[in-house]
Amino acid sequence: MSTSTIEPPDFLDRAITSGSGARAFWSRFLTCVCISLAFLTLIPLLSIIFLLLKNGLPNLSLSALTELPPAAGMVGGGFGNAIVGTLLMVAIGLVLATPFGILSAIYINEYAPASRLSNTVRFVAKLLTGIPSIICGVFAYAVIVLPKTGWLAWIPSGFSAWAGGFALAILILPTILLTAEQALMSVPHAYREASYGLGATNFQTIWRVVLPDGLPAIMTGIMLAVARAAGETAPLIFTALFSQYWIQSFNEPTASLSVLIYNFSTTFDDHQKAMAWTASLVLVILVTVANISAQVIFRKKQ
Amino acid sequence: MNPTHILTSFEEALRQLRNDALMMASLTERNLENARKGLFERDEDWCNTVIADDEEIDTLEVQVDRDGINVMLRFHPMASDMRNVISTMKMSVNLERIADQAVNIARRSRKLIARPEVTEIALLQPIFTVAETMVKDSIRSYANGDVELARGLKERDRELDDMNRSFAEKMTNHMSACVELIPSYMDLIFMARFLERIGDQAKNIGEDSIYAVSAEDTRHTGPAVD
Amino acid sequence: MTFTMEQPQTTSESEKSGPTQQTSPRADFLKVTNFNFYYGKKQALFDVNIEIPARQVTAFIGPSGCGKSTLLRNFNRMNELINGVRHEGDILLNGRSIYDKKIEVIALRRSIGMVFQKSNPFPKSIYENIVYSLRISGVRNKATLDETVERSLRGAALWEEAKDRLHESALGLSGGQMQRLCIARAIANQPEILLMDEPCSALDPIATAKVEDLIHELKRQFTIIIVTHNMQQATRCSDQTAFFYLGKLIEFDATQQIFSNPGEKQTEDYITGRFG
Repeated sequence: MSTSTIEPPDFLDRAITSGSGARAFWSRFLTCVCISLAFLTLIPLLSIIFLLLKNGLPNLSLSALTELPPAAGMVGGGFGNAIVGTLLMVAIGLVLATPFGILSAIYINEYAPASRLSNTVRFVAKLLTGIPSIICGVFAYAVIVLPKTGWLAWIPSGFSAWAGGFALAILILPTILLTAEQALMSVPHAYREASYGLGATNFQTIWRVVLPDGLPAIMTGIMLAVARAAGETAPLIFTALFSQYWIQSFNEPTASLSVLIYNFSTTFDDHQKAMAWTASLVLVILVTVANISAQVIFRKKQ
Repeated sequence: MNPTHILTSFEEALRQLRNDALMMASLTERNLENARKGLFERDEDWCNTVIADDEEIDTLEVQVDRDGINVMLRFHPMASDMRNVISTMKMSVNLERIADQAVNIARRSRKLIARPEVTEIALLQPIFTVAETMVKDSIRSYANGDVELARGLKERDRELDDMNRSFAEKMTNHMSACVELIPSYMDLIFMARFLERIGDQAKNIGEDSIYAVSAEDTRHTGPAVD
Repeated sequence: MTFTMEQPQTTSESEKSGPTQQTSPRADFLKVTNFNFYYGKKQALFDVNIEIPARQVTAFIGPSGCGKSTLLRNFNRMNELINGVRHEGDILLNGRSIYDKKIEVIALRRSIGMVFQKSNPFPKSIYENIVYSLRISGVRNKATLDETVERSLRGAALWEEAKDRLHESALGLSGGQMQRLCIARAIANQPEILLMDEPCSALDPIATAKVEDLIHELKRQFTIIIVTHNMQQATRCSDQTAFFYLGKLIEFDATQQIFSNPGEKQTEDYITGRFG
């Protein structure tokens, strides 16, 4: 009895003395290091935002969003055609890539998760995510922009919105596919079991149970793909090129924000440089909106 | 009983139950033996010992019930374990009754000893021996799971009943011959009756042992005796 | 090793059953003959023969990996969702092989309800959960759907608790309610058999008691097969008990018999907790 009554204070004493030891010092030191490094990472990010706001905001106006780009030496104007072009080409990219991505994800996750084809698709998709975007541009340039003969002649050649959308589609396809696969994989197996147990077919199970449950996560993937595609310059330089005018058809060179920024920021014209800053600000806002909506959609699921 | 339970505490609780029951059985056996010594050796000390020791047996009866309830509550015994617990608890009831009969015998003995010895007491000796060995055998059948021994008890109980009946008849005859000895004869008749009850209880213990081993209910199966 | 049950009640029940009853319940309602089952190269069931009577509760007990769930999942051919499985022997439902080429596995599963270990309502409303099996078979009639919802919920003793929140998410129910919802969902299609794979293992004692009470009610209408690790549960709610060990059916008998005086030593060792 006596030993057990003595022990607790003993134990507490040890707990108290260890607080002032070397271990506690290291613990505090490392905590400080982590906090300061975390602040350091904020510096580039915050300075980008600061620069964008400082240089881009003064020129941000309705006309900047709606008018055509100014020629060198001119004043005023905007980049309305580039916003439209960017949205359009991202849309084309999505329309091309989403069905492929989601259907492939359904196949490799639901129908034949362990088949050789599924493993190949999965492997190739992972490889594609690592491919530099410029390669996508070069590829689309070769497939679409260059004139073709023989059985490929039906593909319209030349710089065009199609070609830009195609390049972006290739760029985002692996992202959509892999996030959709993850989304489907995270649907509890118990749901599928319940559905099959009630006599549902494969298709009914996917359509009525798996997809509805996985949809928010799939949408998140799509939104992240949008955010990435909207900011890409390299694939578009090779495929959509640029245009000073409003888009008339999908078969002609098309303006985009990223290429406009690239073009204007390398000129000697001060006004064009200022426009590049404003366009950058708009682009960042667009991408941020896409990112935030992705998170909102995903959070709704939880 | 082999192999042992995965749960050692279960094994321990069953062992505790069995040990208490066997301790109670051996005390009951000893009490009956003491009652016999008191009666035939005309020794009042033995009779008093029997009456005093009964308390210990009562305590053990309560303890066996407690052990049994403990096992049932904590371990939900199944199959042979369940049968063992049930038959052990039933046995303790029967043992307690046997011990009570031993006390009754001891009380009657004290009165009998106070009076002059009657020769007819010798006729009670075989009845006492049969009842006592029946108790020993019933306990042995429980302890060793000896079904054959337990089955034999039924027939022996019937014999004991017959012995008791003919003893009672004899005593009644003797009563009309010798009126002043009637109180002693009455005591002897009662004691034979107690011994006959002890035989019944030993038979019951035997039936419980059979149930524990083979899940067979042999009660009320033979030709009606009572 | 064949165990045939003598079931006097079932014969009397078949006499009572009305004209709406398409199939008369029989003692060998669900019959498994010389059944072997393999996951790839690993054999999970060895020469199982069992005849499960209709309108009774049959419990499957045995240590983990003994094949009891595997057999259960063969009754509605759920095991075929796993790659590389193979079977030998036959399972007859009311005298017809469930492996008959003419029988569609989808239709088979619709006539056999299944309740799983972990309650798994869909992330939909209570209403939609129950009518799922009707929707997938193309039923659109609102009145039929409504009626099914009420009948199934009443059948699963959940109507009073759920009637005011039919269109709320099923995931807002308590654990025990969810499991009863799963039972309601399983009986919505009026199956003949209800398979239950450890339906109470994740429930508290009160929810468990409710489900067991429900099982007792449901056996008037359905043939129930329940896999359980809880022997008290098997004794409480089953009429027959089958003991499996290492993929073999060791013993099949009336529950009272199994738990008071099993015929096989392995059964005795298992139910008394003497497994080495």
